Amino acid sequence: MPSRHALRSRLLDGEFVLPAILAVVTLIYLISALELGPPMRGGNMTASFFPIATAIVVLIALVVAMVSALRARPEAPEPAAAASTQAGEEGRDDAPVARRYVGLTPGAIGVIVLTAGYLLAFDLIGYFVATFVYVLLLTGLFSGGLRQQWVSKLVATVAITLAGYLLFEVVFQVRLPTLWSQ
Amino acid sequence: MDTLSGLMGGFAALANPETLLYMIGGFLIGTFFGAVPGLTSVLAIALLLPLTYSLDVTTALVACASIFMAGMCSGSITATTINIPGAPSSMMTALEGYPMQQRGEGAKALGHAALGSMIGGSVGALLLMVVAPLAADVALLIRTPGKFSLIAFALIVIIISQRGSVTKGMIATLLGVMIATIGIDVVQPLARFTFGTSTLVQGIDMMPLIIGTFAISELLIQADSRSTRTVDPGMIKAAPVRRRDFVPPLAEIREIGFVRYLKSAVIGYAVGILPGAGGSMAAFVSYAESMRSSKHPERYGKGNPEGIAAAECANNSMCGGAFVPMLTFGIPGDPTTAIVLGVLVINGLQPGPQFMTQQLDLIAPMFASLFVSALILIPLTLYLLGPYFLKIVSIRRDVLYSSIAIVALVGSYVATYSTFQMALALVFGVLAYFLRRQKYPIVCLLLGFVLGPSLEEYCRRSLSINDGNPLIFLTSPDSLFFIALTLVFFYFMVIRKPKDHGLGPTPA
Repeated sequence: MPSRHALRSRLLDGEFVLPAILAVVTLIYLISALELGPPMRGGNMTASFFPIATAIVVLIALVVAMVSALRARPEAPEPAAAASTQAGEEGRDDAPVARRYVGLTPGAIGVIVLTAGYLLAFDLIGYFVATFVYVLLLTGLFSGGLRQQWVSKLVATVAITLAGYLLFEVVFQVRLPTLWSQ
Repeated sequence: MDTLSGLMGGFAALANPETLLYMIGGFLIGTFFGAVPGLTSVLAIALLLPLTYSLDVTTALVACASIFMAGMCSGSITATTINIPGAPSSMMTALEGYPMQQRGEGAKALGHAALGSMIGGSVGALLLMVVAPLAADVALLIRTPGKFSLIAFALIVIIISQRGSVTKGMIATLLGVMIATIGIDVVQPLARFTFGTSTLVQGIDMMPLIIGTFAISELLIQADSRSTRTVDPGMIKAAPVRRRDFVPPLAEIREIGFVRYLKSAVIGYAVGILPGAGGSMAAFVSYAESMRSSKHPERYGKGNPEGIAAAECANNSMCGGAFVPMLTFGIPGDPTTAIVLGVLVINGLQPGPQFMTQQLDLIAPMFASLFVSALILIPLTLYLLGPYFLKIVSIRRDVLYSSIAIVALVGSYVATYSTFQMALALVFGVLAYFLRRQKYPIVCLLLGFVLGPSLEEYCRRSLSINDGNPLIFLTSPDSLFFIALTLVFFYFMVIRKPKDHGLGPTPA
């Protein structure tokens, strides 16, 4: 029987929190599916049958995942430099363990904020300015700041912005937004 | 005879300078992405996907095939030299390659890896050209209930092949299925799960999902690494190598034997046909079989070229096998073929039983690209770039990931000229980040998304032609066959789990 402290820490652990959040999302999905109408009509499946069935199976699997997370023994902390290989061909999760905020590491939060800002700026101020600023800030984020080697970062930023323009606008004939195109 | 001339036409198409350029360019990109720890060939193909809007479909497929082949073999570079597999499929190669590197035979180990990849990749591509038309003939016999059972079989095998995380595999797969239900219903003209948003009526496009799950999530994960380069320059301290060091001695090739090469290639090809298996599983099964049947099993794990040959031969041969279910049934079994399916769909093509005969002129160059990449480009790249491999893969992370971010995000914009697709890519990237952090297989998410609509459509069509009676799935012989096959796989993969004989964690 785990102690109250251990139970509390497991409830806050991503292994439990993620399926819990997914369960809420699935529940909303299930309610929307039920609003589509009855799953069977005249002996045939309707548009709501498949989503309802899928949502129910997902909810059961999520409950199993949450119960497993609560029952699991606490894992030993991962070595910072260990490169763990994820199942399948999709890549590796080889970043060191860092402090988390709402399950996100500071670096990940930085990328999300910068990217969201880039999406807003892309249409408003056009490809060149938005991309230049975004890439410059990203190079800073991926190298621990903009002060070190700032000249080479600036050169790299200009090169990436121009290369992106050449690739999409010139080679692949994609019309990118510009500052004065609105 | 038509098929043969069509296939020959594929090789002739590679003589087109533009197509050839994309094949070589794709191969070099695949080599780089496969070799750099943290990047994969899947990511390279995902980044290529938006560009296929502007590319000729044949050229895009040729580039995809060469990236796929290159990515499978180039993981062996860092696996051998610094014991960090550039791609998951090279894990078994690291077991033998790194001990060889430690005793000063790193270049020779890379030579064995390239030779194995060359043979395996070529055999796999040849088998694809022979088997795919036959499989297409068989696919014609499958009716609607059988198609449902086949897709259900594929999804179930994908889920149960996630060793140790079947529940997570199921959740990820069904999340993909759920995402795919957004938009117009597959049978009726009815919008589902749009929550009053008109932009969701058309459904979720495959591209933001792929870009988000493979590119954006990788950026989020890599954002916390403190190293400035992809490979620590301190690890690159090996003695300079000459080009001739990469040529494996004939005596060692003879000792490995033609039969072992061929057997490994056939194993890899067969594993490639299975849904969800992938290159790491192919390498694992082939390595285990090679060790079992070896005259000197005690040499394994200590730097044995036999193990490298078996693993590399199988993971490259897998490339050919993976295309069979996608081209003949329209069912991709791994992320690469799922993205290639996306390339075809973007161009208004839908793979199926008659696809091989009706569109052979479009896909034959892709087969030829697989074959030429394996037979010529693998050894040529090793010979020309081998001495500089580690310098090439040790790139500044800030430059690399900023470039990936721009290609990924602007690439998402290409499809509809709307930032909505870019925002979707970010949303899926964040979702995939959380899933990956908790070890949920995001490959399952993609395959669930791709296969979900067909599963629903065939299920509903089967029932409607049989007045809603589900017994149609048991009375239809083709459906019954796939249900029986599912039970067989379930028995062997879940109830009677195969033992790993101390080879380390079994790859999924």
